[in-house]
Amino acid sequence: MSPETQSPQWMWYFIGLYFFVGGVSAGAYFLGSLIELFGNPASERQRVISRTAYYIAFPLILIAPVLLIGDLGQPLRFWHLMLRADSKLPILNLQSPMSVGSWALLVYGAMAFASFYDNLVADGRVRFAPLAGLYNRIPRKIYAAVGSVAGFFVAGYTGVLLNITARPFWAATDPLVGFLFMASAGSTGAAAVYIALTLRRLAARRRVQAGAAGAAAAPVLAADLEPFEHYDRLLKFVELGLAVAIVVVAGSYAAPLLRGPLALMFWLGAVGLGTVLPIAINWFGNRPGGRTVLAPWLALLMGLLVLLGGALLRISIVQAGQL
Amino acid sequence: MSPKGMFVDTSICTGCKACQVACKQWNGLAAEPQDFRFDAAQGHPVAVNFTGKSYDNTGRLTATNWRHVRFIEVFSPDRREAHWYFSSDSCKHCADAGCLNNCPTGAITRTDLGNVVVDQATCIGCKYCIPSCPWGVISFNESTGTVWKCTLCNDRIHNGLGTACAKACPTGSIRFGEVADLRAAAAARLAQLQSQGYRTANIYGLTEAAGLNVFYLFLDRPSVYGQPENPVVPQQRLDTSALVTVGGALALGLAALVSFRERGQKAGSEPVEVHHES
Repeated sequence: MSPETQSPQWMWYFIGLYFFVGGVSAGAYFLGSLIELFGNPASERQRVISRTAYYIAFPLILIAPVLLIGDLGQPLRFWHLMLRADSKLPILNLQSPMSVGSWALLVYGAMAFASFYDNLVADGRVRFAPLAGLYNRIPRKIYAAVGSVAGFFVAGYTGVLLNITARPFWAATDPLVGFLFMASAGSTGAAAVYIALTLRRLAARRRVQAGAAGAAAAPVLAADLEPFEHYDRLLKFVELGLAVAIVVVAGSYAAPLLRGPLALMFWLGAVGLGTVLPIAINWFGNRPGGRTVLAPWLALLMGLLVLLGGALLRISIVQAGQL
Repeated sequence: MSPKGMFVDTSICTGCKACQVACKQWNGLAAEPQDFRFDAAQGHPVAVNFTGKSYDNTGRLTATNWRHVRFIEVFSPDRREAHWYFSSDSCKHCADAGCLNNCPTGAITRTDLGNVVVDQATCIGCKYCIPSCPWGVISFNESTGTVWKCTLCNDRIHNGLGTACAKACPTGSIRFGEVADLRAAAAARLAQLQSQGYRTANIYGLTEAAGLNVFYLFLDRPSVYGQPENPVVPQQRLDTSALVTVGGALALGLAALVSFRERGQKAGSEPVEVHHES
């Protein structure tokens, strides 16, 4: 490793935050697509879940380009990532994770928009639908499939991007950070959808208790949230393992995460509050009435902790390579 | 055309810094603003950049410092005898360049003479090339929002001239020419030094990063000169990294299918109930 490498001095509130936002979006989109592709098309309750996931995924990915372009030295030239400056022909550098990732982001963004708009039309919230005849199940599944693959790229390429540099900490944690970021994207995306569904369940419950006639839309049942808790359990263990693994693999170059404020952010924030505590809540949390899902307030807490942990994970790793 | 480069024989460098001055002058590079402070009494800026590294006045390569002369003080154990190692550091113009490989806009390219240059009109200032250089050469320029580095005097060498630093060097420590010729000369010089007793002399840049077009003769280990011993161009690790990440993606996809499929199937087959939510 090199004593003389320079830090790119990426701002945490641009790049670190983008890594987080992109991850949540891709993670949520993937779950929506899983239901879209493999779920029961007749089940209204499943549609509620996939719709919630898509309504979360697209607005989040809209933030991504703002964050990325904001950090550039020449922001107005951002289009050079897609087209050559001189010939205006498309440019792709397969050796550069940033180049591949930019295209993945573009494709994913387009698919996320397509799924989002498609759901708006299906829900009747948008009356004008160009090419309305095309809005049947087939394009929706194509968007879901292509978008999921692109989404995985978006979730994981940022880790590969860091690893394929000469900065000692980033180079020493190769090849694990891409995997870690993807696992984190999965759990934070699931957490975002889980929080939305839990809030929806609480709202429906309040309406029922207040005696409101019928349900405005299909309610979210406890059974719908159970797969999220199961998924989260799996992913959180993977994340915990990988978080420890990257420090072990980095060996003597792990110092940025072993001392100082970033160590606190990583171990207390990302690992402690963001991984261990959610695992504890998931395993031992109060599940009232013999049900298989957490009490709502506990569910919300767990979801928020997962989100916080995901953000702190990205920020601490990005900044650890820039000390 | 065979690549052009430079051979820096640190054994005959005197640390005069003519190379630093020539480079700044030819390329019109500004002085480092943080190295000067305006002194009201004297009515002009005065230098305040004492690096504390012997007579080193640049500290490191930056967007406007493309030559950095290092002064490495070497003392005998009883500190009665001392000497310097000098090394004039610059961009190595690697045959396999980390900065070029990672640039997403194609702003960094290799010319027909083998040198690596940044197109100032294309660069978007993403700064990804900066951590990608194992030697920390390429740097960000705050005022232009782009990255700058040594161009191997691109304009001079494409007009039959050599580099400015090589021309200014009074001892011939920096030599410009075709890399193949320079390597032959370097090998001869190394043999001569070793026969004179300099057993630790070595050539740095024959195999690093697929060969450095600007390479060095050191009298001691590269780490003594602040250079990485085994620099790796980051892209060498790309295949493994990508493979592990794709493998991880498949594993995570599987985890999702396991979690959602069993329960999703069960949940999906029930009719919708609206009444009992406790």
